[in-house]
Amino acid sequence: MIDLKFNQVSKKYNIRANGDSPKRWYGRGFPGRKKPGQMWALRNVSFQVNEGEALGIVGHNGAGKTTILKILSGITTPTAGEITIRGRLVALVEVSSGFHPELTGIENVYLHGAMLGMRRSEIRQKLDSIIEFSGVGRYIEVPVKRYSSGMFVRLGFAIAAHLDPDILLLDEVLAVGDAAFQAKCLERIAELRKDGRTMVFISHDLAAVYRLCDRALLLSHGSILSDGPPRRVIDEYQQMTFADQGMSADEESDSAIPARCTSISFSAPESPEGIRTGYPLVARLAYKASKNIPDAVFRVSIYWPSGYLCAQLTTESLSGGLQLEPGTGIIEFQCPTLPVVPGLYRVDLAIESKGLEIDVRQRCATLRVEPGKIAYGDFLIENTWKITETLPQPRL
Amino acid sequence: MSTTPETVAASEITACSAGAMAHPTTWETSIGLARTPDRPVKVIHPPAFSIGTIAIGLRTLVQYSDLLYTLSLFRLSVRYKQSALGWTWAALQPLALMGIYTIIFTRVTTVRTGGVPYPVFVFSALLPWIFFSSTISSAVNGLVLHPNLLTKMYFPREIIPLSYMVASLADFCIASTILGGLMVYYKVPLTWHLLYAIPIVVILAGFAAAIALFFSAAQVRFRDVGLAMPFLLQVWMFTVPVVYSLQSVPQRFRSLYLLDPVAGLIEGFRLVVIHGAAPDFRAMALSGAVTMVSLPLAYAFFKSSESTMADLI
Repeated sequence: MIDLKFNQVSKKYNIRANGDSPKRWYGRGFPGRKKPGQMWALRNVSFQVNEGEALGIVGHNGAGKTTILKILSGITTPTAGEITIRGRLVALVEVSSGFHPELTGIENVYLHGAMLGMRRSEIRQKLDSIIEFSGVGRYIEVPVKRYSSGMFVRLGFAIAAHLDPDILLLDEVLAVGDAAFQAKCLERIAELRKDGRTMVFISHDLAAVYRLCDRALLLSHGSILSDGPPRRVIDEYQQMTFADQGMSADEESDSAIPARCTSISFSAPESPEGIRTGYPLVARLAYKASKNIPDAVFRVSIYWPSGYLCAQLTTESLSGGLQLEPGTGIIEFQCPTLPVVPGLYRVDLAIESKGLEIDVRQRCATLRVEPGKIAYGDFLIENTWKITETLPQPRL
Repeated sequence: MSTTPETVAASEITACSAGAMAHPTTWETSIGLARTPDRPVKVIHPPAFSIGTIAIGLRTLVQYSDLLYTLSLFRLSVRYKQSALGWTWAALQPLALMGIYTIIFTRVTTVRTGGVPYPVFVFSALLPWIFFSSTISSAVNGLVLHPNLLTKMYFPREIIPLSYMVASLADFCIASTILGGLMVYYKVPLTWHLLYAIPIVVILAGFAAAIALFFSAAQVRFRDVGLAMPFLLQVWMFTVPVVYSLQSVPQRFRSLYLLDPVAGLIEGFRLVVIHGAAPDFRAMALSGAVTMVSLPLAYAFFKSSESTMADLI
């Protein structure tokens, strides 16, 4: 069953050069008057979400994610196209914007709950549970203008969490609040997911999208670029962000640097398919030294698309560094099995001497790892397994 | 559930649809889901000005009726929360105006009041007028004062201007008690014709809602509306029989004058409450007709502009 369907939806905004003033009647007919500019926030966007599925939407700022959110919540309408929503859709976004500062916490629970579509009787039933979930305690009787920002969000989320949605719409609401609150949010969301509710999650937090979603969409400039498993879409998104930079061989620029990396290459020996998970890898780092470099250490750092350090190939050892003579050379790293899962990794290079960095090249190359041995998660742990301790079934 | 074999099938069906929502759905249902299989389907289209928008709008409004009640309640409580005099302000405004107008129109010039003391005469007309004008003046700016609500949450937007109307209605009721006190003081008799005041106020509320909806929607796009409104209301006050009576209007202008529902309704209110006479039914019918035409039109206009409000605010 399809719960949510976008069919060729487009949204146009008129941008006026001079603020929000409407067309002045006395200005018409003057030659050379500029027509207001137009901006297409969404162009022919089509996708669908099945019942019980969790869809993540990622993209740059201005890609159209918030516009989709607003159209789904009913805050604005599309310029063209059709959206079909099956069931009750609740947007868990901007949870504290319905609050009136002069009213107390309880009064705001009634007001905000009514704005979200709950009946008064429903709110009265759930009031105790809401107050307890929010953890606001006795401050519930105090006007909310005295609340801290964390309390605002907790109370707002507590109200929204007690709705009974068929489709849940989430955005960066999870980003606010302390770790305990985030844990509570995620727990509630997990409960709803286990119950079979559909979810649409719009976020910049790629780790959260990867963790919570079954499918992801990549939006850019109002169009869908990619639709598929979260990991693949996230990798594509990050590839867009961190454009490939080649090694710049500007040997003449800085002669003050005593040694520099000149190139890096990765290869899989005796493997025509390329570099694969679980198979040997050879990395060759070429350098050029103009002076004697004492106690040198080479580092080839491999980064996840998210920017965290995955692993590092290094010549660092407890017995001291290398002594480099002026000239060129190649450091060759041999890995019997490459344990990282398939994906696209960024590579940094560095040369150190006596603990100080001499040459650092950030994001200077990429390493593409193809699927090889079966691996889930982030790493392949080499292992062998066998069945032991089988006891024959007692015959009756 | 009945257990006799003949009725088992029927009760199974009723049990299945007991969990379904009120509206029938055109999607095929898949039996075997743990949750309600029949769910209402909503289709969002680009906005259009049509009868359909009114029907859908009213249905959503009914779903959110609790919000209207809650918002009006809180608007009233917030208004008087931090003020020392509290709700007595609702009575002080008409009393003060009554004082000023009495001085002007009895000492400075004279007005035919049909035998009733001027203070009661003007106070009784001030009540419906203040209800109407405060509804309009507060509702017109109501939407633009809540930009964060319009851009971040969804609920039927007409609830905002309508909540101002309900708050003004509550003020009207408070001030009516003062009117009762004044009538006792000036020994003005009460008659059963007083009950006509109820339909009169209902029609007046309908017309006030129409004007409020229209102008609050227009204000979002053209801020001129909010700037012009105080002036417009001041002029309007003198085109309705508040400080003078309908008898002062020359006969040949009277039918034109009564095209404004507010004029007819205020005069009718004063007639039934102070003079103890039946209202002019022709004027009432005219006011009712104008209201019944303008209210759906204003509502349709509001609903079709609602969709772009978030983009313009």
